[in-house]
Amino acid sequence: MRECKIVSKKFHLPNSHTLSVARKNGGYEALEKLKEYSPTQIVAIIKASGLRGKGGGGASAGEKWELMPQNSEKPSFLVVNCDESEPGTFKDRQIISYDPHLLIEGIIITCYAIKAKQAYIYIRGEYKEYQDILQGAIDEAYGAGLLNACDITIHRGAGAYICGEKSALLESLEGKRGHPRLKPKQKEPEWYFGNPTLVNNVETIASVPFIVQNGAEAYRAFGTQKSPGTLLFAMSGHINTPGVYEAEFGTNMLEYIEQYGGGVKNGKKLKAVIPGGVSCGVLTAKECEGLTLDYEALRAVGSTLGTGGMIVMDADTSMPEVLKNILEFYHEESCGQCTPCREGSGWSDKIMKRVLDGEGSKEDLEKLFELADTMNGKTICVFAPSISIVLLSFLTKFRKEFEALVL
Amino acid sequence: MSRVVDIIIDGENYRAEENSLLIDLLIQEGIKVPYFCYHETLGADGNCRMCMVGIEGQKRPQIACDTLVKEGMVVNTKSDTIREVRKNILELELINHPVDCPTCDQAGECSLQDFYMEYGLHNSKITIAQKVKHDKAIDLGANVMLDQERCVLCARCTRFTAEITKTHELGIVGRGDDAKVTTMPGRTLENDYAMNVVDLCPVGALTSKDFRFAQRVWFLESSEGICHGCAKGCNIFIDHNKLKYKDDTIYRFRPRRNDAVNGFFICDAGRLSYKELQEMRQESATLHGREISQEAAKEAFHNLLLLHQNSIAVVIDANLYTEEIESIINFANTIDAKIYAPLDIYKDASFADEMLKSSMRAANYKTIENLGITTSTPQNATLIINCNHPQEFRADATINFFTHRRETQALTLPIAAYTESSGSLTNEDNITQYSKQAVFKNSPLPTISDYLQGLGYE
Repeated sequence: MRECKIVSKKFHLPNSHTLSVARKNGGYEALEKLKEYSPTQIVAIIKASGLRGKGGGGASAGEKWELMPQNSEKPSFLVVNCDESEPGTFKDRQIISYDPHLLIEGIIITCYAIKAKQAYIYIRGEYKEYQDILQGAIDEAYGAGLLNACDITIHRGAGAYICGEKSALLESLEGKRGHPRLKPKQKEPEWYFGNPTLVNNVETIASVPFIVQNGAEAYRAFGTQKSPGTLLFAMSGHINTPGVYEAEFGTNMLEYIEQYGGGVKNGKKLKAVIPGGVSCGVLTAKECEGLTLDYEALRAVGSTLGTGGMIVMDADTSMPEVLKNILEFYHEESCGQCTPCREGSGWSDKIMKRVLDGEGSKEDLEKLFELADTMNGKTICVFAPSISIVLLSFLTKFRKEFEALVL
Repeated sequence: MSRVVDIIIDGENYRAEENSLLIDLLIQEGIKVPYFCYHETLGADGNCRMCMVGIEGQKRPQIACDTLVKEGMVVNTKSDTIREVRKNILELELINHPVDCPTCDQAGECSLQDFYMEYGLHNSKITIAQKVKHDKAIDLGANVMLDQERCVLCARCTRFTAEITKTHELGIVGRGDDAKVTTMPGRTLENDYAMNVVDLCPVGALTSKDFRFAQRVWFLESSEGICHGCAKGCNIFIDHNKLKYKDDTIYRFRPRRNDAVNGFFICDAGRLSYKELQEMRQESATLHGREISQEAAKEAFHNLLLLHQNSIAVVIDANLYTEEIESIINFANTIDAKIYAPLDIYKDASFADEMLKSSMRAANYKTIENLGITTSTPQNATLIINCNHPQEFRADATINFFTHRRETQALTLPIAAYTESSGSLTNEDNITQYSKQAVFKNSPLPTISDYLQGLGYE
C-alpha cells in the first residue's frame, strides 16, 4: 500500500491552518495556473482527471462543472457542501481544521472555472469550532488579497442531516425549510434563487488545486481507471487507531484497516464493516475479504462506497442493536416531506424497539421487509432508499440474530 | 404552444399536450388517481407519493404529478403493482392518523377515507400501540381550526399562504413523524382568504370553526350558486339541508371552480355571507311597522299608485337578477314611473384587493350600466318604490320590497333572497352567469316579479 497525500499533505504540520504555513508548503501555488488556463480549460482538466464527487454520490465532478453556463446573464454561484453529518463520516472536518487554505484555494480556482463571484460554504451547525478555524483562514486570505475575484461566505446550518442533500441544502441556504427538491427532468445545474449553481463537497473542491497544478494525468496516477485519485478514508468503531487516513481508490479494505487502524481492538475477530457512512449496506467480514475501496468494487458486492467513512465492528457486536441505533438516527433525521420516509422511518424504528424489547414477532420482521420495499425508490430523495438498503442488508445478512429475538 | 401527442393509458388512447403534467390529464379524463398534495392551482409538490402510476420503460412506479406527457408514453394506473404501492403508502399515511372519523367534520368528504375504501381495506398490521401525539383543536385564527394529528402534511395550506395569499402565516415545523403544521411564531392565520385552506385540506386537519359540528356533510345538498358579496360573481356551492320539522337552512358556502371567474377560491367575507341571508329577514307585509294581511297590502299598494300617479320613481337594487330588473322596468313603464339605480352606495374601496374582491359590492351592477339605467338618486317623485335598494330615499310616500327588516313606517313587502330564487347576473368583467334557486323554504317568499304578476302587472 503506497502512501499518497493529495489533500492531507499538510495535515501533520504544526499550525497548518495558518496562511504562512500553507504558503511555505506550496499553498496557493496552483493559482499561478489561472494565468495560463481559461475557465473552460480548467473545466476540461477536471473532467479529464476523472475527479469524482467525494460527498457520497461519486458523480463525475467535471460533468457537473460542464453544466454551469459560461455565458450566463444571471450570476453563477459555487456552494461548498460542508454539512458533514453522515454517521461514520468526519473527513471534511479534517480539511477545514487542518488545511482550510487548501479549500479556499480550490474555491478560488472553481469560481474562476465556473465564473462565479460568490461562494458559500454551507457548514454543519455542530462544527462551530472548525467553522471558526475556517473563518480565520478566510479572513487571512482576504487580508492577503487572495479573494479579490470571488467572495466566500460561511453559512451555518441548523443541524438537519437532510441539508447535506444538495437541493435541501440550497432550500436551506435560501432561508427555507430544508426539503429536497423534485429532480429536474434533464441535466442542468442546481439553482440558488433561480441562478445557476454548482454544489460540491469540501474534499472535491480541496482536490482541485492538485489537479490544476499537476495535471489530470498526475491525479490519474492514483486510484483505479474508473475511480481515479484518492479519498480521505476514515475509520471508527472497534479498531485501535480510528481516524482519517488518505488512500488511493482501489486500496484493499482489510489491509487499510490493518495498516492505519491497527486492526480490530483487543485482538477480536472482525464481524462486519459499514463501508462509507451508515447509509451504505453493511458488509460481512467474509464479503470484506479481498475487497478494494473503490466505487465499482463496493457496488459489485451490493453496497456503496459512500463517503469512505468505515465503521468497523468486532465479533461481539449485536447487529440488531446496531440496526436500532441507525434506525433511531433516521427516525430523528427524516425531513418528513415524503410519506414513505416520514412514517416509514419512525415505524421501522418502533418495530425494532419492540423486537429488542422481546415483544416482537415474526410478522414484525416481515413488516420491516415490507417497509424496506415501500421506502425504496418512492420518494423525492435517497434518504428513504438508504433506510431500505440498511434494513435489507442487516436483516438478510444477519437474519439469525434477528430471528433469535422473535422466537 | 406545444404539440399534441398520443399517449396510452390503461390500454386506451388519449391525446394531450406534450410536456403537460400527466396527473392533469388523468384528472381531466376522470381516470381515478389518488393524491393529497397535488392541486391544480398550487402545482406539484411530490410529497404524498400517492399518485403512483406505472410508465412503460421505467423500472419503478412514478408519481403522476411529476411526470411529463411524452409522445407514445404507455401509462398504467390499474396494475396489481400500482394498487399494492398505493396501498402500502396509504398504510403508512394511516399509522399515525387518529382514525377519529366518527367525531371528524371531514368524514364523508375526506380523501383519506375515500382512498382507504378504494385502495386500503386492509386489516391493520400496526403493532405499535403508541401513535405520535400532537395537538388537537388549535385555533389558528380566521375561523380555522387545526388538528395536527389528522394532518397528512401535504403542505397545501402552507403553499396556499406562501404562493396564493403571500401572507406566509403557516409553516411546517419538526422533522420526520414529528413534523406538524403550525402558524409562524407570534402569528395567527389572518388573511381575507384564509378559510380556503379548509377546502384545500384533503383530510380533517383544517376545519371551519363556523361549520364544525353543525352538520354531517352527507346530509347536505349542494346547489350551485353565485356569491352576491361583490361584483366579482364568484361561483359557489350553497350547502343546505332541510331537517325534519325545520326549514331549509344554509350551513355553508364553498367555492365552486370556475377558471374564468374565481378559480378555486372565494374570499372569507363571501363565504360567510350566507349568514345574513338567514337573519333579520322581512317575513311578512308591514305598514307603520305592524304586520298587515296580504289583501290589505295589495289594497294599500294600489291606492298609493293611484294617489301618486305621474310622480312615481322606481329604485332598483344592483344585486337583483337581470330577469327581475327587466320585469321591474316593464312595470315602471306601464305605470309611467321613472327608473333609478344609484350605484355610489355600493362602492367600497376598502373591500377591494387584487385577488377576487371587487370595490363594487353589487353583484349585478353591470346590468344596470348595460341597460343604461339612471344611476343618480330619484328627484321630484312623491312616491318611491324601493326594490331592495340599500339606500333610504325621501319622498311623500314609499313602497318597499325588502329581503331584510329595516326601520320604516312605509308599506313593506317581503321578498325572496337570491338563494331562494333563480336568475342571471353579469359580473364586473361582463361575464353573465346563471344562479339557480337553492333554498326552498316551507313558506316561500315571492320575488318582486311574482308580486307584480299577482298585482296584475306582467
